[in-house]
Amino acid sequence: MAELEQEIRALVSKIIKVEESKIKPDVNIFTEYGVDSLLGVEILAGLDKKYGLDIPEEKVREIKTLNDIIRVARELIAKKGA
Amino acid sequence: MGEDTSQYWRKLLKVDEPVSEDFLKTFRSPLEILRPLFYAAINLLCRFYFRVSVVGIENLPKDPPYIIAPNHASALDQTMVSYAIGKRRRNEMYTLATKHFYDRPIVNIFIKIGANALRIDTVEDFFPALRAATKVLKLGRCVYINPEGTRSETGNLLPFRVGVGVLAVETGVPVVPVYIEGTFRSMPPGKYFPKPVKITVSFGKPIYMDDYIRGKRSENAYYIYKEVTDELFKRIGSLKVGD
Repeated sequence: MAELEQEIRALVSKIIKVEESKIKPDVNIFTEYGVDSLLGVEILAGLDKKYGLDIPEEKVREIKTLNDIIRVARELIAKKGA
Repeated sequence: MGEDTSQYWRKLLKVDEPVSEDFLKTFRSPLEILRPLFYAAINLLCRFYFRVSVVGIENLPKDPPYIIAPNHASALDQTMVSYAIGKRRRNEMYTLATKHFYDRPIVNIFIKIGANALRIDTVEDFFPALRAATKVLKLGRCVYINPEGTRSETGNLLPFRVGVGVLAVETGVPVVPVYIEGTFRSMPPGKYFPKPVKITVSFGKPIYMDDYIRGKRSENAYYIYKEVTDELFKRIGSLKVGD
């Protein structure tokens, strides 16, 4: 699971163009780093591609922090494996 | 590189799904029977009260689909553009109206009389709005969208929302930049009676999407959408001649 977190941190860092080490897990990445909310779609598209997840649009509204993204990814990976 | 995001957006917006012509009925209202009367009055107001000038109307593509993207600083804006483009184009145009207007009973009645309109929420729930606009464009009509997402309180352009770039790139339709001048001085936000100020509606040359669509292969799609939005901002700003 630590590996998943690291992969997602790397993915988010690449998309929002903020260094991995500087992304705090519980801060709102859109307000804290001045990221456009539509980049949330880019993040989900990255997860969709990397893990083969079918991510519904409601999830776009749920993600605000790195931890939210990790939680959504975990949920969908678990759902996929079930 | 940008294809993944593009594919995801296309899925969200249902770009590749068939659309029934019946969808357009959701924009219509029985009140539109009053539309000819409404525009007869608007034509008189525009000619004699606002002395509206229309510049660059030849820049509009001959036929839809295309996106009309004006600045937004007054509740008069959509009506001024509707007057400027004439009856045929007006009937082909579908307007995304923010809930700010739609939820006011009197304004709501005027919107339904004057426009094929859809209520949208630009803050909390923009996917349904973009999906509806996608369907309208796929059905070969024109969409009116304010890239600022809301009215400017100062008359100056606000930052543009990237959604207009997503819509244009993923549907592949051109965007026509429009600058409406004078409406802010006539009736800024918070005022309900327009002053007799000269109004000019200027249409710029359309921004075509071919190069941007090619760009998605080598760049994150978001940044391509952003490029379209930035170009639109620049072009609308360049149409301003003094307000």
